[in-house]
This record gives sequence, C-alpha cells and structure tokens, in this order.
Amino acid sequence: MSNAYLTYAGKRLGQAVVVILLAYVFTFVVVSILPGDPITSVLRNPQNGFSEQEIAEIIAAQGLDKPIIVQLWNALSGFLTGDLGMSMRSTRPVSTLIAEVLPSTLILASAGLTVALILAFAVAYGTRFVPRRYGQGLLRGFPSLFLSVPNFVIGLVLIHLFGFQLGLFRVINPNSFWATLFAAIALGIPVSAQIAEVLIANLDKEAEQEYAAVARSRGIGQARLFAKHLLKPASLPVVTAVALTIGELLGGSLITETVFGRTGVGSLVQRSVSTQDLPVLQAVVSLGAVVFVLVNLIADLLYPLLDPRVKILGGAKRQPTTADEPSIGATKAVTP
Amino acid sequence: MTFISASSGINRVNWLAALRMPPIVALSFVIIAIVIAWSVAPGLFTSHSPVAGVPADKLLRPSLAHWFGTDHLGRDVYTRVVYGTASSVSSALVAVVIGVVVGGLIGLFAGFLGGWVDVVFARLVDVLLSIPKFLLAVIIVTAIGFETINAAIATGVSAVAIFARVTRAEVLKTRQATFVEAAYLSGGSRWYILWRHVLPNASRSVLPLAVLQFGESILVIASLAFLGYGDPPPASDWGLLISIGKDYLKWPWLVYAPAFVTILTVLSVNRISRWLRKTD
Repeated sequence: MSNAYLTYAGKRLGQAVVVILLAYVFTFVVVSILPGDPITSVLRNPQNGFSEQEIAEIIAAQGLDKPIIVQLWNALSGFLTGDLGMSMRSTRPVSTLIAEVLPSTLILASAGLTVALILAFAVAYGTRFVPRRYGQGLLRGFPSLFLSVPNFVIGLVLIHLFGFQLGLFRVINPNSFWATLFAAIALGIPVSAQIAEVLIANLDKEAEQEYAAVARSRGIGQARLFAKHLLKPASLPVVTAVALTIGELLGGSLITETVFGRTGVGSLVQRSVSTQDLPVLQAVVSLGAVVFVLVNLIADLLYPLLDPRVKILGGAKRQPTTADEPSIGATKAVTP
Repeated sequence: MTFISASSGINRVNWLAALRMPPIVALSFVIIAIVIAWSVAPGLFTSHSPVAGVPADKLLRPSLAHWFGTDHLGRDVYTRVVYGTASSVSSALVAVVIGVVVGGLIGLFAGFLGGWVDVVFARLVDVLLSIPKFLLAVIIVTAIGFETINAAIATGVSAVAIFARVTRAEVLKTRQATFVEAAYLSGGSRWYILWRHVLPNASRSVLPLAVLQFGESILVIASLAFLGYGDPPPASDWGLLISIGKDYLKWPWLVYAPAFVTILTVLSVNRISRWLRKTD
C-alpha cells in the first residue's frame, strides 16, 4: 500500500460519503418540494376514511407540520443512524418493510448478474472463435440488439415461450426454481449486453497489441492466446463496467419483479408508488444510491490493485479537474 | 421527363455515396421516417379507429385485413400502434430536449467558467449519476403525477447528468484549442467565443449522444408506461400496449407487435447514432 494509494482511497471515500448525503437530500427535495401534494392527497382521500383530527395527528407524528429544513434535518439524522422513518400506509417502520423483501430481490439481482457475466463472456469468447461466415457478425450484434430491447419484453417473451408453450414453469408460482431462473435471465440479458460491449471492444484492442502479435508469431494457439494473454487485460475494465450496471440491475429488478409477479423491493416500490407512500420511496431510492456509490467505490479502489498499469497521480485518477487544465492564456506559440 | 427523374436518381446515389452511408443506415433512416410519418399523420396509414373496436372481430390473428391482429375489444392492433406513435415518440423527444438543454447548459458553464461553478455542478452531476436512473425517473413521476408528459420530464431529468458530463469534457477540450486562443488574442469576448467557437464544437459530439439518448428514452418511457405511470387507456403508447398485451399471452401478437415496432425503432435510432459518431 503506497502512500499515494492511501491518499487516493481516502479522497474517494470522502467523495462517496458526500455524494450519498447529497443524494439523500436530493431525493428528499424531489418528494417534498415538487408541485403536487401526495401526502395530503393520500390522507384526505375519502376511501381511507381519516377524520380531520386523525389527519392532524398523523401529520404531527410524521413531523410534517415543521418547516422543511427541520424535516430535512430530522430525516437526514435518522438516515445516518439507520432509522428510515415510518411508512405512511402500513404504520410500520420502513426498514422492516425493506428487510422483509430484500432477500428475494438480492437472490434475483445476484442470479441476474451471474447470468449477465456468463452470457457476456460467452459472447465475447465467441467473437474471437466463431469464424466470420458462421455468424461472428451476429454475436457482435448481440450488445446493440439487446440494448434496444425493453427488458419487460424479454421477460414476457420468456414467459410466453417457456411458461406457456413449453410449460417449464407456472406463472402462478413465481418463486419456483425455473421461474427464478427465467426472471434472472430476463434481468441479466440487457445487463450482459452492456458488459459484452466493453469486453468485446477490449478484446479487439488487446488482440492488436504487439505482445499478442509476438505470442502469435511464437506459434501459440488461438485458445491459449485467449486464455493466457488476452482475457486478463481485457476483463479488468469489466470491473468498472459491472459496477456501473448496478443501477441497471436495481431498476431492472423493479420491472422484472412486476412481470414475473415476484415480491421484492421492486414490488414494494410499485405498491408505494400507487399508494404514494413517500417515506418508503425515499428510503428505497436513497438506499439504491448508497448501493450504487459503494459498489463503484469498491470497484475504483480495487482497480489500481488489480491493474498494475494504472498509476495514481496525486490522488486524482478519474477526470481532469479545472486545476489540471492549462489556462487559456498560457504561453503557447500560435502557429498559423 | 424520364431524363429528369433518371438524373435525380443518380444524384441520390451519389449523395449517399458521398456521405458513405452503409445501406443499413439508409434503412434505419427509412424506418425512422415511417415512424415520424405515423406520428404526424396516423390517419393516412390506417382506416380503422384506434378507440372503437368491432366486438365480433376480437383477438383475431394477424392477417391481411389486420396486419398485427386485433385485441380483446376487437380493435386493430396495427392502428393502435400507429396512433400511439405520436405520444411515444414526442415524449422521448421532450426527454432528450430536457437532457440536452439542461445538461448542456450545466456542462457548458461548468467547463467554460471553471472555478466554484465547476465544483458545484460536478457534485450535482455526481449525485444525479449516483441514483439509479430508472428509480430516479419513478420517484420524479410519482412526485409530479402519472401522465405521459410527466414520464417524459422524469426521463429527461434522469438524462441530464450524462449530457452535462459529455458537454463539459468537450468544452474543456475545445477551450485549449489553438483557434480559441487565437480568437482571444484577436480580441473576442468570453461570451462571443463561447457562442461562436466553443458551443458549435462541443455540440458535435453531443449530437450522436442525443440520438442515442432518444432511443434510450423511448425504452425508459415505455417501461414507465408499462408500469402504468403514463397516460391511462384508451391511450395507446407502445409500452402501454405491451402492458395490456401481457394479460393476453395466449394471443401473443398483442405483445409481439408493439414490441417489434419499439425494438425496430430503437435499433434504427442506435444505428444512426453509431453512424453519426463514426462519420464525425
């Protein structure tokens, strides 16, 4: 662990914490300041049958009568101590509601990610080995095709083909092995398209490098070249690509759970949206941001350790800040 | 007469060749042209009504009379798709415009002014990027109400960050160019240079991104419509049509027909975007 790495890690960690806090504030602002008042529209909905006194009590209990800054402060300090507030509809703590449905979504998301990785590597492997006239172009078209397909369509096609036509699984039992597998495939395919895109581009780049030419000239076989030389450098950038697809996995599981009728965080969001249960939505969205930021933080911290070619220069790796830019007036010969 | 049409035909071919447009890109443009025509004048492409059905003709297979079959109320699915185009396409356009204008301005000012403006905007962009895009769109559409136009706004907001980032990078790149320096030395003001030199150059790489984002917005808005966060039936947005069709999977054309049109449109848009990026 060099000094530069620790500085870099500390800086990234600090950045991540700031981004998480700001993301929470941002979602808070979105749900509380935007036009439309979902809170009172839920409470005053005649179907819910609250009396005026009860409404006043609920508003006081949720602290909704206080100024917005105080509300934000209370919410933020609760968020930091792990208290996500109470659900508006079921009067249960939001954290309990989320904890109940989290395992199912974690199973789906990790199965989806596994499918995505296997598929992406299989496709990328295929682009190096399948001859051009036997459909290499088709494999190369895989990422752009599946980036153009809505993932609920993939789910519906799988249900139609394997559920209805072949009878492999029944839609009524969404937690069976086959139903979970197909839900994971539906979730994984668009994600794998993103990963495969990066992987194929990297493999192509690495195959043109001089070391690959040297290996080939020594008479090494295609398979050995792929496994021993190309795969490692080409798959390192995939770490970052996978981390970036976490958002896709989270958003996609919302739709996939709806299509396959699973209970999970996605169905909780669905329910909270239709009942305008804002504390639950705020919690899920900001936890989504936490997961996304943490996964990307881990990826960024791992990357320099995995790839010795990456040099950390004074803690700034990602993008040039304005400080690094030569100023406009810098002396530079203006040649016509 | 024959002479004129023949020569204009040759010109067309030359023009294509001059642009070095592969046939598949030309086909993509044709598909997009059809989609735009559908949204501008849906009545020209079908004689059926998108709302009123013929109950006796319900759930018919695709045939010559009904290209995409009919739905559970006996409405022609092709007609519903054609009439749903305007809403699906224009809402994606609204989303892209929001993304380009808001994101572009943020990126432009952050990159050009630098200093604390850049720092503030960079944090804002980080925050927008940290919230999973689809969840962000869902929470915004929940806050402002379930309508297709609101779904478009939500999709646009979730695209702001990426445009801000790309525009900023382009502005930083252009700012160092020799001709910008020359413009300064010959006495151009900051705003003149921003408008005359930096903006046109930055917009060059924003255009392919905007086209790409157009396809992506169609998908996101379709997903929101699929979940029921857009206009309710009898609107016939593509995502909504697929969502209705999912309850009738025994009659799969109700899902496959609008899905096919959606995928074909997004594929064409993405192909055009890739072509724009390459020709630049």
